Amino acid sequence: MTPRDFDPASLVAGLLVCGLGVLLLLDQVDAIDLRFGYFFPAILGTVGAIMLAVGLTGRRR
Amino acid sequence: MSAAGHQASQPPLRRDRGSAVVGGVCAGLGRRLGIDPIILRVVFIAASAAGGLGIGLYLLAWVAMPAEGERRAGGLRVPALPGGRDSWTVAGGIGLLALSLLLVFRQWGLWIGDGLVWPVVLAAAGGALIWRQSANAADPAPVREAPARAGGGSALGRAALGVALVVGAALLFLYFNDALRPARDALLPVVVVLVAGTLILAPWWIRLVRGLADERAERIRSQERAELAAHLHDSVLQTLALMQRRADNPREVAGLARRQERELRAWLDGGRPLGERGTLAAGLELAAAEVEEQHGVAVDVVTVGDCPLDAGAEALVAATREAVLNAAKFAGPEPVSVYAEVGTERVEVFVRDRGPGFDPDAVPEDRRGVRESIVGRMRRHGGDAVVHTGAGDGTEVELRLERAR
Repeated sequence: MTPRDFDPASLVAGLLVCGLGVLLLLDQVDAIDLRFGYFFPAILGTVGAIMLAVGLTGRRR
Repeated sequence: MSAAGHQASQPPLRRDRGSAVVGGVCAGLGRRLGIDPIILRVVFIAASAAGGLGIGLYLLAWVAMPAEGERRAGGLRVPALPGGRDSWTVAGGIGLLALSLLLVFRQWGLWIGDGLVWPVVLAAAGGALIWRQSANAADPAPVREAPARAGGGSALGRAALGVALVVGAALLFLYFNDALRPARDALLPVVVVLVAGTLILAPWWIRLVRGLADERAERIRSQERAELAAHLHDSVLQTLALMQRRADNPREVAGLARRQERELRAWLDGGRPLGERGTLAAGLELAAAEVEEQHGVAVDVVTVGDCPLDAGAEALVAATREAVLNAAKFAGPEPVSVYAEVGTERVEVFVRDRGPGFDPDAVPEDRRGVRESIVGRMRRHGGDAVVHTGAGDGTEVELRLERAR
């Protein structure tokens, strides 16, 4: 296994996807009521935040 | 098969832009999973119809999967912001975050109305694209810096997307305000026919576009092969023929071979002639080639690192040339070795020969080659030169120069 450079964008993406998963889990156990009207913006926001992280932490050229 | 072997035989998870219909996600996934991408496309379309979930998943996969040839993920290949940031990825990210906030506000009831907000959002996005393209067109400098591919086609595509967004916003506004009702009956059949025609003709159109791209790539490859063949004919083959005719003169053959080697290396190293490069390594190569041609002695040049040919470096090249010239004159037919190392602090050059050597103190006062052209020249430019020699030991001239800051 080769060591990899630390990539902040990957960390942000992983955390956000984990957060999305937690939301779905809480909805499944009826801890929250996750309606489509909130879930769809959450997905869009996750994708947007990942793109922002990827763009802002791009390699210096 | 072992797990490692199985993993190695699987293609990496990459977006396949060569077979892409939208972003290459389904093509990449299909190749990775070993199934027909069209099945995955149908799944994504079906999931999109079920509340838009497929669109969200597709966007996630597009962002998360790197494309072929890219080191990291990020669905859009975009020009860089100052400092190396991807401006279009950042803009897209901000846009999606703003969109999600708008949807949340809409859910909370903090909303003016769909008929006004969505057209305004679309018109703002389209207007931003158009204004950005017109700003780029007015300022040609960033276009020159951008790669050639990013200039023409993609800029036109972004401008077209901007126009489409603004027109779409206007139509949406008219639709929400019932201004399109009279035209709807006439337009609806046209739109349906257009959509049906697009669905039918799309595969042929995609195949045609791909075929044209493949043909263009093949033509470029063919031109490159022809250029390579022409260069080999003009240089290497001509030299080989000349060497066959001069086979009775080994020194001349060696000289021809070395000159050809230099030309070939220079060509492989970017194609620019040595004299136009303006670097220390090119200067040393030129000096060595000159002495080699004049005296028929092989001069091997090895350079580690490189730096611009400023006044100090020019003096170093001149001193090196003098040392090589002395070695060629007095060290006989043995090859002369030049080793140069360019560090962050200083530049060092070593000129060695395996000749008979000499006694530096026995050099007459009127001979100024070593004293002025090498040692004196180096000292005048803040450097130093030392001659290591002895009878029968060969000679090494060591030249040092501190680099200008």
